[in-house]
Amino acid sequence: MTDTVPSAPAPRGRWARVRESEAWRSVFRHPPLDTPRGRALQSFSNVFLHVYPVKVPKRVLRLRYSWRLGYIATVLFAILVTTGIYLMFFYTPSVTSAYGDMQKLRTGVGFGQLVRNVHRWSAHLMVLVVVIHLARVFYAGAYKRPRQFNWLLGLGLLAITLGFSFTGYLLPWDQLSYWAVTVGTNLVNYVPLLGGTIRDLLIGGEQIGQATLQRFYALHVAVLPLLLAMLLTVHIWRVRKDGFAVARDATSQPAGSQSTAPADAGEADVDEAPAPDVRVRLLGVVDRQSVTAEERLTDDTVFTWPHLLVRHAVVGLGVAAVTLALGVLFAAPLRGLANPSLTPEPAKAPWYFVGLQELLSRFDPLVAGIFVPVGAFVMLGVLPYIDRNPATEARHRKVAIVVFTIVLVVATGLTVVGALFRGPGWKLVPPWQHSYLEL
Amino acid sequence: MASMRTTRRNLLRTGWKLGGGALAAIAGWTSWELLRPLSASGAGGKIKLGDPQNFASGTATFVNEGRLFVVNAPDHNGQGHYFAISQKCPHLGCRVPFCESSGRFECPCHGSVFDLAGEWISGPSPRGMDQHPLTLEDGVLVVDTGKKLTGPDHGANQYVSAPKGPSCAGKG
Repeated sequence: MTDTVPSAPAPRGRWARVRESEAWRSVFRHPPLDTPRGRALQSFSNVFLHVYPVKVPKRVLRLRYSWRLGYIATVLFAILVTTGIYLMFFYTPSVTSAYGDMQKLRTGVGFGQLVRNVHRWSAHLMVLVVVIHLARVFYAGAYKRPRQFNWLLGLGLLAITLGFSFTGYLLPWDQLSYWAVTVGTNLVNYVPLLGGTIRDLLIGGEQIGQATLQRFYALHVAVLPLLLAMLLTVHIWRVRKDGFAVARDATSQPAGSQSTAPADAGEADVDEAPAPDVRVRLLGVVDRQSVTAEERLTDDTVFTWPHLLVRHAVVGLGVAAVTLALGVLFAAPLRGLANPSLTPEPAKAPWYFVGLQELLSRFDPLVAGIFVPVGAFVMLGVLPYIDRNPATEARHRKVAIVVFTIVLVVATGLTVVGALFRGPGWKLVPPWQHSYLEL
Repeated sequence: MASMRTTRRNLLRTGWKLGGGALAAIAGWTSWELLRPLSASGAGGKIKLGDPQNFASGTATFVNEGRLFVVNAPDHNGQGHYFAISQKCPHLGCRVPFCESSGRFECPCHGSVFDLAGEWISGPSPRGMDQHPLTLEDGVLVVDTGKKLTGPDHGANQYVSAPKGPSCAGKG
């Protein structure tokens, strides 16, 4: 690259002079040139923008392309971190003060209740969005080569998300959290041989108490955020390196070969906007085969800024608006102080585990508590390595889609029955008679 | 055989592997020691329950200190037996109350039902209710809450009888 940055237009006004000052330029090294080269340089020299490639394939801009589910989950995580930090200022993980802190948050802290509401609804939404994200990726066949490992990372992120939600569930230390976590952790007891040990390790004793609250708090605010940040970084990095989601338009490359090429046009030489049909070679650190294989039409990509970033900003604001609206409209529940000798009726696990609880009330614990959930997770994990069918179109992978859909429908059905239709004594009570849904 | 020779490279490689393995083992051990649940936590300890005559036949008395019920359950021959039954449901850990009207333990969470001696009658529980060892020391009943006896398997049916009256769970 030759260093021929065109000079910026003559400064007009105070603001323009500030942007031309040495201090400003020491922070933002490149003037905001509205040329392909200027935009590329801005991206390259900004650590945050550099998360994105300079250019992305046009198909990435379409909403229906991915429904932005991964991005929405990331935004929800950001909201959870922000609201979570606020909550940390007012919360002590102690069985004697946790519940009082929650009450104080409700009545004595400005916007305390709202921040807690937003935190809770965002957490539920995140679990939901991550699960839908997984389903969408499955239906798009996007777990196949070269994305096998990223699918595994995604499963890890799902597990961490569930861990987040479950550890957070206990923290208010009310009857709801105490018994949901009692039921949830007792599910682990059914793991053969090691179940009791794992459970005791998790809750730090025979029954849920101060040790449990402290452990869950440490996991919730330190261990899980670090793990999630690490995995998410690799996950997003690989999404970018693997050419974003699978191309689905008819003109895309044949199935199986698609996206083996990095769509990362970020390292491209973007000196000038070339005329259509001119082929350019990507310069960058790629293996030898890619250098020769990586010739492509240049007009199938657009600049990330502004095209993708504006869309992301809109979706991000939309997610924030939805969680805020939920937080304004619906208060997060807070039942009475946790009472270890009185079980409320009914006692349900958090909604994402209630399907498992429903299964446990019908089948042998070894089957319902271990074989089904562990089996499902293992099956999902090995799926990209045993599914040798390279096709991503639904019509060429009917078996996989039918099996997955059945599992998804059964899991959803069990969750709905457990969460909505179960009342005291685990008897069926239609929700229109009385709702025993606990969120 | 040349590959078996101890070159500097091989030595270093093996050293890294062994060192890494040792480090991982030490990290695992220290983490386990730090995080393993403390033994004898909670209610563990002996509780004196008093004269056995205080517990009439066919009754269940809740002892809050040990979160357990002391029952005097007559078997099929009418012979009374004392049990200290843990309040915790073996299914998913809910606290099981004693239903006076039916004379049975009825779990509010998932509807498991147990007879007076804690034997399983119905519901999703994998076994009868767990117990603590009960001994007679100088004419006084003593329960050791530090020890737990796993509840009887399905189909024990040594104490089961028809319910005294209506169930507490009612119709939901």
